Amino acid sequence: MLSRMSLPHLHERLWFALRRWAVAWGRIVYLGAVVLVLALTPSSYTRSARRSMARHIYLDTAPILPGFTVLAALLSLVLTRIVVVTALSYGLTAYALEMVIRVLVLELIPLTAALFVAMRCTIPNGARLAVLRQSGQLDALRKMGADPVRVELLPRVVAGVFACITLAALSCVVALVMAYLGVYGFNLAGLPSYTRMFGHVFSPAVTLVFAIKTLLSSLAVALIPMTAGLYDMGEGGPQESELGGLARMFAVLLLIEVASLVGNYY
Amino acid sequence: MQDPATPPPVPPPVAEDILRPVAHLELKAVALMVFTLALIVGSALYLLYARGAFEPTQTLVLTADDSEGVVVGMDMTFSGFPIGRVRRIELAPEGNARIVIDVPRKDAHWLRVSSIFTLVRGMVGGTNIRAYSGMLQDDPLPDGAVRPVLRGDATAEIPQLMASARELLTNLNALTAQDSALGASMANVQALTERLNGPGGALQLLMGNEQDARKIVATLDRTNALLARIDSMAAKADAQVFGPGGVMPEVQATVVQLGGLLADTRASLKKVDAVLAEVQAVGANVREGTADLGALRAQVESNLRKIDSLVNEINRKWPFARETEIKLP
Repeated sequence: MLSRMSLPHLHERLWFALRRWAVAWGRIVYLGAVVLVLALTPSSYTRSARRSMARHIYLDTAPILPGFTVLAALLSLVLTRIVVVTALSYGLTAYALEMVIRVLVLELIPLTAALFVAMRCTIPNGARLAVLRQSGQLDALRKMGADPVRVELLPRVVAGVFACITLAALSCVVALVMAYLGVYGFNLAGLPSYTRMFGHVFSPAVTLVFAIKTLLSSLAVALIPMTAGLYDMGEGGPQESELGGLARMFAVLLLIEVASLVGNYY
Repeated sequence: MQDPATPPPVPPPVAEDILRPVAHLELKAVALMVFTLALIVGSALYLLYARGAFEPTQTLVLTADDSEGVVVGMDMTFSGFPIGRVRRIELAPEGNARIVIDVPRKDAHWLRVSSIFTLVRGMVGGTNIRAYSGMLQDDPLPDGAVRPVLRGDATAEIPQLMASARELLTNLNALTAQDSALGASMANVQALTERLNGPGGALQLLMGNEQDARKIVATLDRTNALLARIDSMAAKADAQVFGPGGVMPEVQATVVQLGGLLADTRASLKKVDAVLAEVQAVGANVREGTADLGALRAQVESNLRKIDSLVNEINRKWPFARETEIKLP
């Protein structure tokens, strides 16, 4: 590695880095397109493929669902409490609940869900895919005439997207319930005004941005670690490749979040 | 490519990737998908309900000269309760703003033809559209009604307030300036108190200069001397009036003599009383005498009538006699 780093010319090193960067992003975009096409192709859903997909979906989502729900409930309750108490001390209680909904449901919880899924499912899946590649199983599949992308990658990506969307939806519902309980307690008196405020926050534009953001985040979280696992980036080792994939995933998540903020508030 | 007819031989799995079968996998996966779908559809339905997609509404159009602060989706409140939602804001051909509000039918009965609508901008927070219905027994507001909205702007008064405050501060500055009237007055007051504290004090302050103040003091001294002389004069007068051989003892003696004189007068008056009583008795006697005179006169009259009748009889009995005169004895 050191010998490679000590190339004499700066522009050669720059060119090398630029090419590697372009190849990595190009592969992500290409693989994303391939996965989308495959996901929309009916022949991807043969019986055995369905079985493999169901297995991945179930094993990726079900084990982390209770834990993340508890985490989301706790986070929502604590944040609601903090915001409401602070708003009370400033005399701005009328705006506290709206702020809680905006911060929690619109911004924080979907991002947390995506990161949680990345941490618990897609990054380990990407690592597993890299192990499969390095052990030559993907090549073996290729030699047998099977498409490794279809056999190994597509179920994992679909499972990642599904897990992301499920967790986001569930945690948003949990956050809404917890925010209501945190402000009004265990009674139904505040439900009409809460419903009205919810409808006020989720205008059509905000809802659209929210849906697109969740979908794109789930895609990014599911796809980018897999790409890092599937391809040898020529970076010297699986750890470095994984780290590069992680960095790219965070960059994309950040970009999506910034774009959603711009869409919502500008 | 996987083909159900000719399944490819599964490659030997690596140790950590052994695929153990999951019991009821299909069922669990379907249940999970249904759960997720239910969550998403439920959230969407709740959102539609929250945005009022399922309740019939009627339209109310508010016209304002300025729609600043009004945003699509904001509430119209009645007594603090939201009863309507802004659906659209548009510019009318006349140049004013038209705020189109959806009012749910179940809340529309709060709005009457006599209702008033206000657009209030608070100091903190957004703009509020409020409805006031003074007479709830009026006819209900028809669908598509167009009403003007009254604007109340708390922040609009700030410039005016600032101008007033500035004017007040300017006046205050002018009042408290070094060369102001108030400052000069205060300086005069200070000079005044200094003179009050100085020799001469208030007297010199009143008279203006020291000479006049001295005159006043001299006048007071002379007045004191005069009063002393008047005092001695009063003592002398006292001795002359009340002393032995003074006026008062003589007056007392005169009064005693006057008492004697009055007693004598009273005795004289008593004598006069007795004389008057006697005169009264004389009067009574005279009254009796005159009563007797009356009787006597009656007798004389009756006697005369008798004589008259006697003469008349004689005249009848003595027809030749021409002489009718009778000689009384």
